[in-house]
Amino acid sequence: MAGSRLDARHVLLLAMTLTCEAFAVIASWSLEPYWDTLIYAAFSPAVVVIGVLIATHHPRNPVGWLLAAGGVLTAFSDAAQGWALRGHEEGWPGVAAADLLANSIWLASGALTVATFLIFPSGHLVSRSWAWVLALGVLGSSLGTVGWLLSPDSGEAFIGGENPYAVEGSPAEAAYFVGLSALAAALLLSVVSIVVRLRSAEGVERQQLKWFLFGAVLSAAIPPAMAPLWFSVPAVRPVTALALFALPVTAGIAMLRYRLYDVDLIISRTVLYSLVTALVAAGYVVTALVLGVFLGHGSAWTTAGATLVAALSFRPLRQRLQSQVDRWLAPTRQQAVLTLRKFMADLRADREEPEGVEAALQRALADPGVRLRFHIPESSEPLDIHGAPAPTSAGREVVPISRSGVLLGDVLLPAVAEERRAVLPAVLAEADLAVEIARLRVLLSRRLDEVKDSRRRIVTAAENERRRIERDLHDGAQQRLVSIGLALRHAQHELRGGVAPGAESVIGAAVDEVTLAIAELRELAHGIRPGCLDEGLSGALHELAGKMVFPVRVDASDTRYPPEVEAAAYFIACEGLTNAVKHARATHAEVEVDTLGDRLVLSVTDDGVGGAEPRAGSGLIGISDRVAAHGGTFALESRPGRGTRLVAEIPCVS
Amino acid sequence: MRVVIAEDQVLLRAGLARLFQDGGHEVVGVRGDVEDLEQLVEETKPDLVVLDVRMPPTFTDEGTNAAQHLKETRPDLGVLVLSQHIETKHAIELTTYAAFGYLLKDRVLDVEEFLHTAERVAAGGSALDPEVISRLLARRRASPADSLTERELDVLALMAEGLTNAGIAEKLVITERTVETHVRHVLTKLDVPEDSHRHRRVLAVLAHLRSG
Repeated sequence: MAGSRLDARHVLLLAMTLTCEAFAVIASWSLEPYWDTLIYAAFSPAVVVIGVLIATHHPRNPVGWLLAAGGVLTAFSDAAQGWALRGHEEGWPGVAAADLLANSIWLASGALTVATFLIFPSGHLVSRSWAWVLALGVLGSSLGTVGWLLSPDSGEAFIGGENPYAVEGSPAEAAYFVGLSALAAALLLSVVSIVVRLRSAEGVERQQLKWFLFGAVLSAAIPPAMAPLWFSVPAVRPVTALALFALPVTAGIAMLRYRLYDVDLIISRTVLYSLVTALVAAGYVVTALVLGVFLGHGSAWTTAGATLVAALSFRPLRQRLQSQVDRWLAPTRQQAVLTLRKFMADLRADREEPEGVEAALQRALADPGVRLRFHIPESSEPLDIHGAPAPTSAGREVVPISRSGVLLGDVLLPAVAEERRAVLPAVLAEADLAVEIARLRVLLSRRLDEVKDSRRRIVTAAENERRRIERDLHDGAQQRLVSIGLALRHAQHELRGGVAPGAESVIGAAVDEVTLAIAELRELAHGIRPGCLDEGLSGALHELAGKMVFPVRVDASDTRYPPEVEAAAYFIACEGLTNAVKHARATHAEVEVDTLGDRLVLSVTDDGVGGAEPRAGSGLIGISDRVAAHGGTFALESRPGRGTRLVAEIPCVS
Repeated sequence: MRVVIAEDQVLLRAGLARLFQDGGHEVVGVRGDVEDLEQLVEETKPDLVVLDVRMPPTFTDEGTNAAQHLKETRPDLGVLVLSQHIETKHAIELTTYAAFGYLLKDRVLDVEEFLHTAERVAAGGSALDPEVISRLLARRRASPADSLTERELDVLALMAEGLTNAGIAEKLVITERTVETHVRHVLTKLDVPEDSHRHRRVLAVLAHLRSG
C-alpha cells in the first residue's frame, strides 16, 4: 500500500537515532552499568521504529511523529551523556554543555508525552477545550527547563557535581518547581483525557485506548512495584528499565495490530497474575513470620512451610480470582464464554441440539447475522448448519475454523462490534466440539441423502429395465413365435390331403408346442412386470387377487400414482399375498390401497398363523428394502395366531 | 369375406394374409401402419379389418385408436384387434361396439376357431378373448357377493365371448335348453335384464363384470 512506504524523513529519523545511540554505546561503555548503556541504547531506536511504522501507516496522524520525535530526543540525550562521560575521562571540550543537554531533555520529552496522551489514537483532541492542557504542558516544560538550567540546586545531577550555568540568587529554583508542577498537572490531565475518551469510545478506538492505557499503567506501575527489591535484588533494575518499553510497544500494537491479540484477555490476565503473585507472596511472608516465631527465623522448616503454603494456595487462588477479575475487566468476554459454556452444558444434558451452536454464537457475539458454514468433501460449495447451500460470504468477514489441521468451515461475521470480535477465538474454543458434531451431522445427512437418491435411482432403473424386458418379450420373441406358428399352419394347409399325411400331424403337434411356448412367454413377461399395471394399480391388484387360491378382497380406488410407486405397491402386495399362501396358511386376505396426504398406503392383511418375521432372504426383507428405496416406511404386525398385517407407506414424489 | 390387414411385422403380416387366403377369403389390402388405413378401407370396402395394437410410430396403442376411429365412422364394418398381451381396459371399451373383436395374437394359431371368430365379427357379432373374460371373472370372484356355480361361470364366459346359446351348447357339449337355463340363472344372479339381442347381452354382462 502506498501509505506504508518509507520516505526520506523516516530514513533520516532512523539514521539520526542509530548514529546517536552507536556513539552513546561506544562512548559510555564501561563508564556506567552495562545494562544501563544497552537498554537505553535499544530503547530509543525501538521507539523511533514504532513511531516511523505508525507514521508510514497513518501519515496524517501526528501520533507516529510524536513517538518518533520522543525517541530521537532520547537518542540525543544518550549521545550527549556519552560525550559528557567519556569527555570527563579523556578531557574533551564541551563536557559541561553536553551534560547540560543530556540532563534537560527529559523535560521536553514530558511535553511530548502530554501531547501524545491528548491526541491518542485519532490524532485529534477529545474536544477543543483540552488544548489548554497541551499549552500547560508546553509552558511547564519550557519554564521547568529554563529553571533547571539556571538553578544551582540541580548541580548534583551533573558529572562535575556542579551546574556550570547556575545563576546564584535568581528565581530559577522557583521557576523550575512551578514549571515541573505545571508539567505534572498537564500529564495527569492528559491521562484524564484518555479516560474521558475511553468512556465514550466504541469499537476499534476503544480497543486501541485499552492497549494504550494498559501500556501506560505497566510503565507507571512496574517501577514502584519493584522498588522494595531495588537494592536487595540487583536483577530487578534492568527489568524495571524494560518497563519503559511497555508504552511505545502497546501504542504500536494499538495503532497497527489491535486485532492480533485480545486486549481484554491480556489486561485481565495481567491483573489476575499480578494479584495472585502479590497474594501468594504475602501469604509466604506472613507464613514465614508466623512460623518463624515458633521455629526460629531462617529455619529450614519455616522456609519449607511458607513455600508449601504459597504452592498450595496458587491454584485455588487463581481460580477464585479469575472469574472475578474477568467480570470486572473483560465483562464481554466473560459473558460470551459463559453463554457458550451454558450451551455446551445444555447440549450434554440433551436440552440442546448441536445445530443450536450457531444461535449460541449469535448470542455470544450479540449479532443475529453471525453464520456458520461447513466445508464438506461431498459438496463443492459450503453448506450451512442445516446442510443447505450456505449464504455467500459477501460483505462478511470470514474466519476459518480448523481442527487437527483440517479446515472444517468458517464463521461469517457481518459487522460484529470490535470488542465482540476480539472474543471470537475464546468463544470458538468453547464451541469447537459442538461445531464439529454439527458438521458431522451435516456430513452424515448429506451422505445419507446421496445414498437414498442413488437407491431410488437404482430401483427406478430396475423398474424401467423390467418394463423394457417385458416389451421385448412381447414384441420380439412372442411375435416371432406367432409368425413361425402361422408358417407351420400354412405348410400344414398345403400338405392337407397330400402324399405325406404323417407330416401334417407332426406339424400340428409343433404348432401346439409353439402355442404353449407363447403362453409360457406371456406368463414370464407378466411375472417380470404385469402389463396391466399400465392401466392402474387397482386393476392389477384385482387381477392378482383373482389368481390367488383363496378369496382376496381388494379395496382400491382408481386413483393413479407415479408408475414406480404403483409398481412398488404391486410387488409388495404380491410378496405379502405369497407369504400368506406359503407360510401363513391363510384362508382369506385383504388388500387395501389408500392415499394419505402425498403418500400411498398399502396394507395386506391375512387370517393366517401369524408370527412372521423379516428374516434374511425372506420376502418381508425384500418388501422392507423396496419401501425404503422409495423413502417410505414399512410396518409388520404378526402375532402368533392373530394373522399378519403389513402396512407400507410410499411417498408419491415423482 | 374381404379382409384388410394392418400389421407392422412383415412375417406376421404375410402369415396372416396366407391364413385368410388358405381359409378361402380374399385379402384386399395389407398395411404396415395405420396411416392411410381409412383411405384403403374406403377404396377396398372390406368386410373385416384386422389390426395389431402396437404399430408405428410409437408402438403403444396406434391399433386401438385406429380401431376406435373406424368403428365410430363405420359401425357396420367388422374390426378385429390382435394384441400381444391382455389390456382389459381397452378391450372392454371397444367391445361396446357391435361387429368388434379383441383377441390375443396367438389365437391365430388355432386356425379354425380364429377364422370362425373373424367371420362372426364380420357378420356383426362380438368376440372377446377368453383370457379377458377369465380375468374379469377372476376379479369378480374376489368379491364374494356372487355365488355362480362352475357351470354357470363357464356359460357366462362364453356369453361374454359373444357366443349364441347354440354356440355355447356346442362348446360345452350340452343341449341348448340346458344352456338357456344356465343363462337365465346367470342373468338373474348378476341382475342383468334379459334381452334377446345377442350383442346387448354381451354388453350387459361385461358392464356388470367391469363394475365388480
